[in-house]
Amino acid sequence: MNSVILREELLSKIGEIERADILVGIPSYNNARTIAHVVRAVQTGFAKYFPDMKCVLVNSDGGSTDGTMDIVQSTTIDDLHAILLQHRIRPVFKITTPYHGVPGKGSAFRTIFEIASALDAKACAVVDSDLRSITPEWVELLLKPVIDHGYDYVAPLYQRHKYDGTITNSIVYPITRALYGMRVRQPIGGDFGFSGGLAKHYLTKDVWETDVARYGIDIWMTTTAIADGFRICQSFLGAKIHDAKDPGADLSAMLHQVVGAAFNLMETYPDIWKKTEGSAATPVFGFTYAVGLEPVAVNLDRMLDRFRLGVKDLMDVWNLFLPKEITAFLQHAAAAEKEQFHIPDDVWAETIYWFATAAHRRTLNREHLLKSLTPLYIGRTASFVMEARDSDGEDVEAKIEGLCRQFEKKKTVLKEHWDTRGGAA
Amino acid sequence: MNTFERIVVEPFDRLFEKILQFLPNLLTSILLLIVGIAVAGLVRTLFSRLFRALHIDKHFERIGLTESLSKGGIKEALSAIIARGIGWITFFVFLIMSLRALDVPSVEQLLERFFLYLPNIFVAALVLLFGYMFSNFLGRAALIASVNAGLKVSGMLGKLVRITVFLLAVTMSLEQLGIGSGTTMMAFAIVFGGVVLAISLAFGLGGRDIAKEYLEKKIKGEAKVDEIEHM
Repeated sequence: MNSVILREELLSKIGEIERADILVGIPSYNNARTIAHVVRAVQTGFAKYFPDMKCVLVNSDGGSTDGTMDIVQSTTIDDLHAILLQHRIRPVFKITTPYHGVPGKGSAFRTIFEIASALDAKACAVVDSDLRSITPEWVELLLKPVIDHGYDYVAPLYQRHKYDGTITNSIVYPITRALYGMRVRQPIGGDFGFSGGLAKHYLTKDVWETDVARYGIDIWMTTTAIADGFRICQSFLGAKIHDAKDPGADLSAMLHQVVGAAFNLMETYPDIWKKTEGSAATPVFGFTYAVGLEPVAVNLDRMLDRFRLGVKDLMDVWNLFLPKEITAFLQHAAAAEKEQFHIPDDVWAETIYWFATAAHRRTLNREHLLKSLTPLYIGRTASFVMEARDSDGEDVEAKIEGLCRQFEKKKTVLKEHWDTRGGAA
Repeated sequence: MNTFERIVVEPFDRLFEKILQFLPNLLTSILLLIVGIAVAGLVRTLFSRLFRALHIDKHFERIGLTESLSKGGIKEALSAIIARGIGWITFFVFLIMSLRALDVPSVEQLLERFFLYLPNIFVAALVLLFGYMFSNFLGRAALIASVNAGLKVSGMLGKLVRITVFLLAVTMSLEQLGIGSGTTMMAFAIVFGGVVLAISLAFGLGGRDIAKEYLEKKIKGEAKVDEIEHM
């Protein structure tokens, strides 16, 4: 093994374990409040669904100061009878290690991939450390498609509130599907299963000093798996409830990171997405069911105010790369009454493609470009909320499907202007 | 006769002699100037064609220079501006050579002083150019950040940042040129301090209710906030 990032003591621990059948990685940073539940769920999953396999749990930590790593080490399942289990045939190995490199989830994953590769694991999974809704079944659902059906990448499917995951629903899912031709509903879900072969493949990529190591790992893993021709499927995991995020988290920074990561990947795989037409369904595992979800409060007036403010003050920035029809439409939309406000799917798809083209052409500073998307995104979200006000989950999925079809149709805009220079048509 | 020769003829002879001595220098100087004009024109055309062949304007466009200049009202292609600049520099070199060819001590002294001052002009121009670009960059960053924070005065804030940074650059370049060194810096400090004070007073007096409402919201919890999970 010629890993450059694994330390001496870790290498000796790996030497003790020798090899593994399955491995589950948990990246963490100050998650003492929630990680015990995740560790218990994973351990129970091992005991329940893989009793005769050599299982390894890896915690790759970013330097927590709240005792996260100690909690991982000390957490065990005290009473197997309570979860209707008699005994486990083989012990569960646990590795807790601080990761090295650029601070971020990507570097944590790299360490997990390195350990998986060193142990020659057959199937691996990664789960977030702040999950409240993880159950032992998640372990089965993320690993069994790899072990029993030969899939290389298992993306999660969650039951979410119709207004949640709006960056995924309105940008990341439609654009990933339109570009790479696979319908992966949650490309940035955060909880994935993958084969040992794919983990080794990820390690061959030279991305570990880039933004992928910081925050773009989820979309990178999904896109790399699709674009490099690995077998993909999805597993239904139920509701995704995690520890409350910082309410002050900056939306524009979030957009900058997520959309920027998706745009970066367009630079890596232009030959793939240029020749991809339409999209194919991805097999789904797991028993799909509806979950009761907390209602979500939305302040539409405030969202519309933000959109109008953007149109008033950022038009000079958008004029640098958006075509006149779109900027004229945006001005018209900003002047509309609340009840008439609407940003249609085709305009939105085209807008995102023009942002991608501007990012590729470096029309203006990348951070400025991506952050200037925020008011438009808020406007589009407001439009969606108004449209889906009386819709149930199925209707909402149909609406998202319609948006995705527009992204597939409008992809010609991207193909036509990607390699040309100059401003918008 | 001797007196007449001494008073009138001799000075004329000396003057004539000096003019005869100076004439070749003058002719050389004029020739150098004419050659300089021709060479400068040629160099400008050559560079202009070279830049066009290298598509240099597209590179400038990509790094955002074209946008910055067009925002400043300069619509001409940057390659043409640079080619013209090179032409002017060439002419300038010939002009200096022609002035030196005159071999006049006072002109020499003037040139020496000018050469000593030249780096200051160059640095001042650079400070101004980068200051202009930096002011546009920061102005836009402030505009986007304040729009995303939902501030109604975003446009004004963006302009304020842009003007302040540009004024600072102007002050620094004037300082470099040694023009009213203490005064310009002081003027900038007074203007900037005045603006900050005016804003503080405006917020303090005019925004009391907003501040109260904001604090109340923070302490008691916002009445109606979005709970959408974007990711």
